[in-house]
Amino acid sequence: MTKKHEPGMAYDMKKLNKVFAFLSVLLLVTVGWVFLDDYLRPWKKVQIEAQSIKRAKLQTKIDAANKKIDSKKLAKLEEELSEQKQNLSQKNKQIEIAQEKITQIKGKLKAENIVNGVLNADVGEMQFKYETAHDKHQVNADDLFKKMRKLKVEFVASRDRLKQYQGEEKAAKKNLLNLSFEVNKSKAEITKLVGSRDLLVAAKEGAKTLDNPIWLLRNAPIIDYLDPTLKISQIVVHKVKDDRYFVQVPKVDRCITCHSFINQTGYEDQANPFKTHPKLDLMVGMDSPHPMKEMGCTSCHGGEGHRVNDFNAAAHTPNDKKQEAEWVKKYHWHAPHKIPQPMYRLKDTEASCIKCHQGVEFIPEGKIVNEGYRNIEKFGCYSCHKIKGFEHRRKRAPSLKKITAKINKEFFKNWVWSPKAFNKHSKMPSYFNQDNNKKPEFMKKNMAEVNAMADYIWSISKNYKSKYKYSRGNANKGKELLGEVGCTACHGIEGLEEQSKKIGAYAGPYLTGMGSKIKNPDWLVTWLMEPNHFSPDTIMPSFRLTKREANNITAYLLSLKNEKFERLKFEPMDKKERDDILLTYLQTFDTHASAKAELAKMSDVERTLELGRRSVGKYGCYGCHAITGLEKATGLGTNLSEEGSKPVTQFSFGHVKIDHDRRAWIFNHLKNPRQWDIGVDKSFKDLLIMPNFDMSEKEAESITTVLLGMVSDQIPLEGQKRLNEYETVVATGMKVANKFNCIGCHQIDGEFGDILKYYEDEDINAGPPRLVGEGHRVQADWFYHFLNNVTEIRPWLTVRMPSFNLSSDERNKIVAMFQAESKMNTFEEKSEKISWLRGEKRGAIALWKSYDCASCHTQGFNNDEPSAPNLANARDRLRESWIRKWLRNPGAILPGTTMPNFWEDGEATDDDIFGGDVDRQINALTKYVLEIAQKKKQKK
Amino acid sequence: MIKEFINYISDPIRSFPIVTILFILQMKYYRTFGTKKFYFWLMIIGIPLVFLAATDPNFLLILTWPDNVPISLLILSLGFFTWLSFHKAAVNDARIEAGEPPVEGTPEMREKVWCWPNLVYTELFMSIAATVFLIGWAIIFKAPLEEPANPTWAPNPAKAPWYFLGLQEMLVYFDPWMAGVVLPGIIVVGLLAIPYIDTNPKGNGYYTIKERPMAMGLFLFGFLVLWIFLIIIGVFMRGPNWTFYGPFEYWDFHKVEAAFNINLSEFFWVKGLNMPMPKNILLREIVGIVLTIGYLILPGTLFLRMKQGKEMLSKIGNIRYYLLVFLVLTMGTLPIKMVLRWLFSLKYIIAMPEFEFNL
Repeated sequence: MTKKHEPGMAYDMKKLNKVFAFLSVLLLVTVGWVFLDDYLRPWKKVQIEAQSIKRAKLQTKIDAANKKIDSKKLAKLEEELSEQKQNLSQKNKQIEIAQEKITQIKGKLKAENIVNGVLNADVGEMQFKYETAHDKHQVNADDLFKKMRKLKVEFVASRDRLKQYQGEEKAAKKNLLNLSFEVNKSKAEITKLVGSRDLLVAAKEGAKTLDNPIWLLRNAPIIDYLDPTLKISQIVVHKVKDDRYFVQVPKVDRCITCHSFINQTGYEDQANPFKTHPKLDLMVGMDSPHPMKEMGCTSCHGGEGHRVNDFNAAAHTPNDKKQEAEWVKKYHWHAPHKIPQPMYRLKDTEASCIKCHQGVEFIPEGKIVNEGYRNIEKFGCYSCHKIKGFEHRRKRAPSLKKITAKINKEFFKNWVWSPKAFNKHSKMPSYFNQDNNKKPEFMKKNMAEVNAMADYIWSISKNYKSKYKYSRGNANKGKELLGEVGCTACHGIEGLEEQSKKIGAYAGPYLTGMGSKIKNPDWLVTWLMEPNHFSPDTIMPSFRLTKREANNITAYLLSLKNEKFERLKFEPMDKKERDDILLTYLQTFDTHASAKAELAKMSDVERTLELGRRSVGKYGCYGCHAITGLEKATGLGTNLSEEGSKPVTQFSFGHVKIDHDRRAWIFNHLKNPRQWDIGVDKSFKDLLIMPNFDMSEKEAESITTVLLGMVSDQIPLEGQKRLNEYETVVATGMKVANKFNCIGCHQIDGEFGDILKYYEDEDINAGPPRLVGEGHRVQADWFYHFLNNVTEIRPWLTVRMPSFNLSSDERNKIVAMFQAESKMNTFEEKSEKISWLRGEKRGAIALWKSYDCASCHTQGFNNDEPSAPNLANARDRLRESWIRKWLRNPGAILPGTTMPNFWEDGEATDDDIFGGDVDRQINALTKYVLEIAQKKKQKK
Repeated sequence: MIKEFINYISDPIRSFPIVTILFILQMKYYRTFGTKKFYFWLMIIGIPLVFLAATDPNFLLILTWPDNVPISLLILSLGFFTWLSFHKAAVNDARIEAGEPPVEGTPEMREKVWCWPNLVYTELFMSIAATVFLIGWAIIFKAPLEEPANPTWAPNPAKAPWYFLGLQEMLVYFDPWMAGVVLPGIIVVGLLAIPYIDTNPKGNGYYTIKERPMAMGLFLFGFLVLWIFLIIIGVFMRGPNWTFYGPFEYWDFHKVEAAFNINLSEFFWVKGLNMPMPKNILLREIVGIVLTIGYLILPGTLFLRMKQGKEMLSKIGNIRYYLLVFLVLTMGTLPIKMVLRWLFSLKYIIAMPEFEFNL
C-alpha cells in the first residue's frame, strides 16, 4: 500500500467508478455479441441466396411473358383507355350523383341492419320466454305469445325493407358501372394481356430481401421472433420415427431450410442446395407415392435431419472421393462423428427402400437394390447368413447327395481347392490359397482338409444309376440347340460367349469344361432329359428334349475340355497334418494327452472321415449344398438382417487402411473377406473362413447397398409399405417365379426377361413371349393346366417353354400372381353359344378374309408355316375381353408385335364392312375367332 | 524419441514417484521455488515447451478437446496460485527468521476498511468480469454435446466430470465400493474435520511453511499429488477402455495393456504356501486382515513412542490424535495400493467379494 487513501478506504473511489464503467460497457458489448452470434446462422445466408435465385428465375419468366405480349395491341388498348377515361370525365356530374345515391342507400342499409339485428335477438328471447311459460302453464303465457307475434311481424317487415334496400343498391351500382362500362372493358382486356406478367412481377417483388424495408424489419435481430421470413422450415414425419433409444420420436427434418426448392419444378438446373429433386414423380412431389410432407427427407437419405447448425451437422456424405475433396474445400467437410446413421451416399440411397418395402422379391423402381437382390441370389449370401426376407430361398448350389455319379474325386478336390481355376465364372467361392491362408504351413493343412472332405462326401454319397444311355451325337447341332432352346437364360455357355455375356445369366452354372468334369455321359443325358430323376428338388427344368437332341447337347458339352485343369494332381493326404488338425478339434474341451489317446483309438479311415465331417462343418458347405445328415444345420455367417445399423466400432478393420465407416467395411469385405486377417497373428483354427467370391466392383456395390438398408429401425405400421390384397398375391407368386427363374426368360409387365437382351437387337418376337397383362390375357384354368403340361403355342419359336417340376401350390401361386397383377377375377365366363346378329357373321367372314388372318394364324386353315398362335386354342386359352382389347391395338400391349393393327387411330382398314364401324368389326371378329376355336375343338 | 520418452515416463508407474519426489523437493527447497526468479525461468522455459508439445497432433487433439480447454486453464491458474502461496510463505518465513512479523501482520496490513465499497463494489466488478468471460467462452467454444444417449453404444472412454477424475482414477486400484463411496466420504468428512483437529494457531492469517511443515506437507501431498495429479492423468492420459495413453500417443481403440491382478490371499496360500485356498473366508483372508489391522494400529502407537509423538499427543489430546492418525493412514492407502499394484499386480489385500468387501 504505497498510496494513502481516505480513512476506511482501500481504493480510490473515482478509479473504482471508472473500472465499473469499463466493465459495464464490456458487458453490454458482450450481450450484443450474444444476440449477433445467435442471429447469424449459416442457413440464413442460404435462404437469402435462394430468394435471389428465385428472383432471377422469375425475371426470365417475366422476360418471356413480355415477349409474348403484343405491344402494338397493348398500346392501342391503352390509347383507347385514356380516350375513354376522358369521355368519362365529361360524365362527372352523373357519376357523382350515382355515387351519392349509393352512399345514401348504404346508410339506410346499415340502419336497417341494426334494426333487424335487434329484432332478431328480441324474437329469440321472447320465443324462449313464451315457450317456457307455456310449458309451465304460467299465467302470462298468452301475454308473452302476443308480444312474440308482434315482434315477429316487425322482424319480417324489417327483413323486407332490407331486401328492398339491397335491391336498390344493386341497381345503383349497376347504373354506376354502366356509366364507366367502356373503361372497365378496356381495363379487363389489358389485364388479360398482361395479367400473368403482372402476377410474376408481383411475385418477384415479394421475393425481395435486403432491398425491402419490410423484409428487413421482419428479419431484424431481436424483433425477428414476431414474424420472420427467414426461418427454419421443418417437416414432422410421424410415419417414420427416430430412435432416441428410450423413446421413439417422430422424425423432424429441417433439410428444406436450405434445400428451398426441393419440391418445386423449375430449379433442375441449379446446384445444390437449390436444386429440384431429380425424381419428383417418385419422391418428394405432392402427387408422388412418397410426398415430402409425409416422408420427410432423412427417412430415405439418412443423416441428421434436425440439425441445421452448418453443413457438417447434418452428416452429409459425399458420393465419391472427388466430391469429398470438393466439400473439404468448400465446407471444411469431415466424416461425421458419433452419428449412428450418417447420410447415405447418393448412390446408396436406395438402401432405404428396404426398411419399408418388406416381403417382396423386388422393389418397384429400385434399380440398384433389385440388382443387389439378384446378386445376393446369385452368390447365395443367404445360404450362410440369415438375411431378413431371404428365408424362403432354396439352397443355392447342387446337391452333393449323389455326387459320385456325376464327377470323380480328383476333380472334386481340385475344384474345391480352386473353383476359379476350372471356371472363372464359377459362383462357388474360393476358400483356399487366400490372403490369410496361403502360407505353406496353412496350405498343407488346407490340403489335408480338402482330401478329408472329399473322402467324407464320397463315403456318404448314395448310388445313382442313370436312366438314359449316351449314344453319341452331333456336337455342332448340340451347340446350336443350347443357344436356341433357352438354356442361356440360366446358364452362361462356353462357345456362346457373346450371347452369355449379353444375358448375364446367374441361376445355373456357367457351362465350361464339362468334358473334364462329367464322369459319366449317361448321367448328363439323363440330367438333360429328366433332371428330377437325379435331383428331385432341382429347379433345372426339362426342355422335353428328344433323345437325339439330348445326345447332341451332351456331345457338345463333353467336347468342352479344360485340359490344364484335368492335368492337375491333388496332393495326397498328409496324415501328419490330418492328425494335427484333428488333435486341435479334439483338444477343444480336452487336454492334449486325452485328445491324443482319443485319436489313437481311431483307425486311419475313421480319422480321415472325422476330419472330413468336421471340415464340412467348419466351412459350412451344407449352407449351399444339400448334404446327407446336415439338412437342418444352420448357416455359419452372422445375421445380416440388421447389418445396416451395426455400430462402426463393432466392425473389425484389422490393419487395413480404408475409411472407417460401415459402407467401406462391407464393400471391402465383399471384395476380399480375408483381408482383415492380414498382419494378425492367428492360429490355423481361428482364421476367417468367409470365402472369396471374386465379385466385381458393381456386384459388391449393389450388395453393399442392400446390406446398408438392412437396418434395425422400427418403422411404424403406417410408415411401412403394406401390400394390398393384390400385391400380396403378386409378392407370393413372385417368390415362385424368382425361384424357378421365370424372369430369366419372360419379361413381366416390362420388367426382367434377361434373355430378351439377346433377341432385342434382332427380333424381339423370336424370344420368349413378353407377359404383359398375362392375367387378363389367359384363362386361369388353362394356365394352371399349361404349367403342368406345356404344349406348343408358338410353333415358330426355337426357344422353348421348359417343363418345370412345379407343385400344384406353386402353379396356383404363379397363376394367382398374374391374375392379381392384372387385377382380374380368377375366371371369365365363356359364352357357350355364340349368338350372331343379322348379317354379322357374313361381315365377320368378310373381315377374316379381308384382313387375311389365316396368313399368319395358319394352323387349321392352310399348310403354310404359322407365324402366329394356333387359333384353335383361343377359346380355352384367351379371355374374350382381352381378345377385343388385343384386336383394338396390339402394339399398345406388346410394342413391336407382328400382329398388325387393323383399326389404327380408330379407323378401320377395310371400311366397306359394317360401314367401317370399328366396334362392330372388332366384335364380329372376336365372335368369329371364338366360334372357330369352338368348332375346331369339337372336331377333335 | 523425446516424445516417446515422455510417453514412457508419463505412465503413473513412473510419473507418480517422479511427481512425489518433485513434491518433496518443492517442500524442501520452497524458498528457491518461491522466488520470482524461479517462476520467471519456469515460465521462460515452460511456455515454449508447451507450444512445442502442441505441435504434436495427438497432444493438440487432447488439449483442444472442448471439454479439456477449461481444465488446462484451471491447471495453469492452480500452478500460479501454488507458486504465489509458496512465494508469500517464503517471504514471511524470511521475515520471521529475521525477527519481523509476517507481511500480513504489519500495521498497515492490519488497518480496517469499509465493507462498502471496498469489498462489495469490487465483488460486483468480479462478477461482471466473470459473466463477460463466461459469455465469451460460451460463444467461442460450443457446448461439446454428443449424440443422444444410447444404452447399447456407450461412449468410450466414459469419463466422469473432470473434478471427479481423481476418484475415477482411484477405481483402478480400489474396489468401486471403496473408491466410490468410502474413500470420498472419508475425504469429505476429513476435510470438514480439519478445523477441529488442527488447533495450532500458527499460520492463522498469514502464509508460512516453516512454522507448519507437517500440516502443510500432509495437506499439499494429498491435494497436489493425490488429487490434482490424478485428475491430470485422468483428463489427458486415460483413453478408450481407461487405458493409459502418453500425451503424444494416438488413442488407438485397440490398444491392449496386460493386466492380470492377484489377491494377497492367493499370493499367500497358492503361491507362497503352495496349498489350496481355505474354505473359511476369514481364514482365507487372514493375512490381509492382520496386515490391515496392524496398519491401522501400529503406526499410531509406534509414533507415540517417539518424542514428537508424545509431544503431539500432549498438545492435541487423544481423540484428535487418533482421528488424525486414521485420516493420514487412510490417505496413505492410495499410494500404498498403487505401488503394490505396480510392483506385484496386487488386486486386493482383503478380498471378500462374498460380502462386497474388498480392500
